[in-house]
Amino acid sequence: MGIARSVGITLDQTLPAVDERAAFVAELQAGSQDAFAYLLAVYQNPVFNLVWHIVENSADASDVLQDVFVKVFKGIKGFNGDSSLRTWIYRIAVHEASNHRRSWIRRHWREPVSVDDTESPSAVAAAEAASRDRSPYQVFEQAEREVVVKQALASLAPPYRAVVVLREIEGLPYEEIAQVLGLAEGTVKSRLMRGRELLRRKLAGYVGRDHV
Amino acid sequence: MFETCVEIRNHYSDYVDDLCSPEDRKSIRYHLSFCEVCREQLEQWEAVGEELRALPRRRVPPDLALRLRVQMSRRLNNTPLLALWVRLENALKPLLIPATGGVLTAVITFCLMMGHGAPINTGPDVTVELVQPARVQQLAPMDFNTGENGVVLVTQVNAEGRAKGYRVLSGQGSPEMMQHLDRMIFFSVFRPATLFGKPTDGEVVLSLRRITVRG
Repeated sequence: MGIARSVGITLDQTLPAVDERAAFVAELQAGSQDAFAYLLAVYQNPVFNLVWHIVENSADASDVLQDVFVKVFKGIKGFNGDSSLRTWIYRIAVHEASNHRRSWIRRHWREPVSVDDTESPSAVAAAEAASRDRSPYQVFEQAEREVVVKQALASLAPPYRAVVVLREIEGLPYEEIAQVLGLAEGTVKSRLMRGRELLRRKLAGYVGRDHV
Repeated sequence: MFETCVEIRNHYSDYVDDLCSPEDRKSIRYHLSFCEVCREQLEQWEAVGEELRALPRRRVPPDLALRLRVQMSRRLNNTPLLALWVRLENALKPLLIPATGGVLTAVITFCLMMGHGAPINTGPDVTVELVQPARVQQLAPMDFNTGENGVVLVTQVNAEGRAKGYRVLSGQGSPEMMQHLDRMIFFSVFRPATLFGKPTDGEVVLSLRRITVRG
């Protein structure tokens, strides 16, 4: 394959600078196993992260991720390059996650939610793993802040949350967010502003001059 | 130039994303230089952004990554012929070792049985035809006179190549002649008759005539 691959799998930490030249897309459309393996290696973690923030549950995120890549595998032949490959995949991911969330709400809105479904323990574990050189108090504080930030983010209405996640967590430019969500750029701006302001209000006691 | 805090706050989003025009940025900075409340709010906006970006990124669990790869492989190899071949291969693979073992065992058993059980023919090769008549292999020396017409006799030869008896068809039948014939036939060697290569009883017709050569 004529695509530079030196970036490897670690690219998913900062969003993949995948070479989206037509040659790579052509390889995918031709059914190259190497190209698909590379696509998976680069996109599976960012897409999983994005989906997780929308569905707020690891098990559901796993199901949605599989559905997303099934659609990618099925639909790659119809990809005509109107948008970038990343935008196309993210659009599928947001669409699938939103559908899954809607159907989940329809199915479970009357059911009690188990405390085991919360992600707090894993957040604490992740914070502990990432902060081995910190004091227990700092670790606990960071874990608590993460939980609070996640809860605040989860409490946003889906339209605002999707925009905030794509902008603040995935780092997409306005234009790409508009393409992913199928919105006008102006709508993206206004939703982003509204979402940020709502988050600021929810987190006013945790962030700011005295806390940061 | 922005006049009020509300106007300024409508541009925070662009400001933190660095999308403001230079004039707007200058105007916002001017406002922030004296408005403590707006400055604090903007700091909170930036802090919220930092908190969001600092959230740990979710990674795909290894088992899910494996499932994705398997799914991908299935999708890519989803041609009927290939699927049939894979199914056939999967069905035959478990039988491969038992089948090989079975065939090897059968071959070894066959070789052992054939090596020890069956008799080995070490004698000379015999023409395998439907029927082979008995023949004289070596006739004993003839030291008696058969007269002018000679003696013609039929000798019965058993499967071991031994003469069981004989009958004189023509010639002298005197007791002295019969003694000579008994002795000669007793010391003669015959090759038995064969049926499908297997020795069996048969008859040999002998015509005896003494020939005297001078010299």
